[in-house]
Amino acid sequence: MTSRTDPHRPPAPAHAAEIVREYGPFPDAECIHGVTHDGHRVWAATGARLLAFDPGSGEPTAALDCACDAGTAFDGTHLYQIAEARIDKIEPASGKVVASIPAPGHGSHSGLTWAEGSLWVGQYRDRRIHQVDPATGAVLRTIECDRFVTGVTWVDGELWHGTWEGGESEVRRIDPGSGAVIERLTMPSGTGVSGLESDGDGLFYCGGGASGKVRAVRRPKPGAA
Amino acid sequence: MDALIAAAARALATGDALGALKRVALRDDPPALALRGIAMAQLGEHVRARELLRLAARRFGSHEELARARCVVAEAEVALAMRDLAGSPRSLGAAAAMLEARADRANAAQARLIAARRLLLLGRLDEAAAALAGLDTQGLPAALEALAALAAAELALRSLHTGAAGAALTRAGEAAQRARVPALLAEVAQARSLLDRPAARQLRSGAEQPLRLDEVATLLASGALVVDACRRGLRAGAQWRSLARRPVLFALAQALAQAWPADVARPVLIASAFGFRQPDETHRARLRVEIGRLRAVLAGLADIEASERGFALQPRDGREVVVLAPPIDGQQGALLALLCDGAPWSTSALALALGASQRTVQRALAELEDAGRVRSIGQGRAQRWLSPPLAGFTTILLLPAALPPA
Repeated sequence: MTSRTDPHRPPAPAHAAEIVREYGPFPDAECIHGVTHDGHRVWAATGARLLAFDPGSGEPTAALDCACDAGTAFDGTHLYQIAEARIDKIEPASGKVVASIPAPGHGSHSGLTWAEGSLWVGQYRDRRIHQVDPATGAVLRTIECDRFVTGVTWVDGELWHGTWEGGESEVRRIDPGSGAVIERLTMPSGTGVSGLESDGDGLFYCGGGASGKVRAVRRPKPGAA
Repeated sequence: MDALIAAAARALATGDALGALKRVALRDDPPALALRGIAMAQLGEHVRARELLRLAARRFGSHEELARARCVVAEAEVALAMRDLAGSPRSLGAAAAMLEARADRANAAQARLIAARRLLLLGRLDEAAAALAGLDTQGLPAALEALAALAAAELALRSLHTGAAGAALTRAGEAAQRARVPALLAEVAQARSLLDRPAARQLRSGAEQPLRLDEVATLLASGALVVDACRRGLRAGAQWRSLARRPVLFALAQALAQAWPADVARPVLIASAFGFRQPDETHRARLRVEIGRLRAVLAGLADIEASERGFALQPRDGREVVVLAPPIDGQQGALLALLCDGAPWSTSALALALGASQRTVQRALAELEDAGRVRSIGQGRAQRWLSPPLAGFTTILLLPAALPPA
């Protein structure tokens, strides 16, 4: 069983998040729910349309009409998208839903990412991250966190998640085993993190919720913490 | 934020309250409760909506002040829709301050607007005007702008500033167009039709003529000596002398003004002011006393000269004399005309102004209340009567932004 943060442990070091660039707001997209990165483009879930934009130019390049209310993920071939109480597997070229699995919990899931053959689902108010079998939707493991979980992402073996609680937002790196917080990036007040995805390199893409923006935040160098 | 809440909020924003409920009906976490409350309010289930919003506000954690404040605002809006004015405005004020501090301008303005509309419904017009004046609707959602303009129009109409009212209604109409809310457009159109309906009748030298509200305002501004049987008083330009508490003097003034420039015979005056058909010397003595009192009230505006058979009005400075009567004759018409000022009246004050018994006034008010043409607040001795609001104020605008935490 995993535990919440040990009260005797010193608090994890916090840095101010360095926002490198802001994208959007995009036309007809009032709200960014989830973000993912397919190696070239950034995908943003905007409610009724999944929008792809080029991180270099910031211009939208594609849009898929599908329900997208929360986290988004990419497994190398397909997009995964949380819609209501299910996770849709979507062909990025056509927007066709090729499979659907039930999402764990009761619709309170927020973030989604794909790593090492599993889907990782953030449960917002439950303060949990579930590891889910992408074929069946079965919950393989649960990590407890001590904040509301928004977006989730894996990069270089590090598990990062966004929090957004009472107007304060952070990007946190946690121990995938214990859920203990290792490192925190504090967002400026008034900027929330709804979705989170790393580009596999030095940046995080953070969905900005109702601001309709996607923000690129620099990832601290591994081992710097 | 979380998937079902986002989906339900999307449904709610498009007016699909049932679709929103379908998604969150079985959930009891605070954001779901808030959403359910707003959906219920849009379906007209105000009582349940209030319970849900209260519950949601209580259950949000202490660090989720913003979400909590939004729930308070939504609940206040529902209370207003229920015409429940008993609640304390303090929590609403605190919520507005909180939302302002957190830069949620739209919801803060909504909270202030609800407070102003509540004052308007309570007949506290000065306070409502002050609250509205402090509201900056620049850059806010068009629906809010339309509501604020409607409230301003109502205030202006109550004080007979028809020009300002017309301008406010034009603003409200434009904002409602932009908001694309049909119910709001209908309210603006209805309020505007009030401007074109006869608001009073003018009796001048024996001729009768219906007047629209703007014509009434023109007449009052013309400087003529107006014996106003709608609001029970005398007006000459900017001067206003209320006779609402002196029904005998008002009856005399009205009788004299109607006959002007001719004089009125003593028995006729006695009959109109005291109700005696066969006057004797004591009534004539009483008439002399009352005429003396009316002279004092009229001082500076007009004189009353005794003639062989009675009395005649002699306005000063060449003023004309006009009687402004309610559009419909009779007890009910007179009551409605009195309540038109938007202020709260007690039964006894109405009875005093009309020179009728309290019981008669109560009977007339009960009939008018059944017909929805007057409304009352408070109970027992504290009961006050008011005219219904000029605009009904659509309450389908409950903030979908009460949704946390977006």
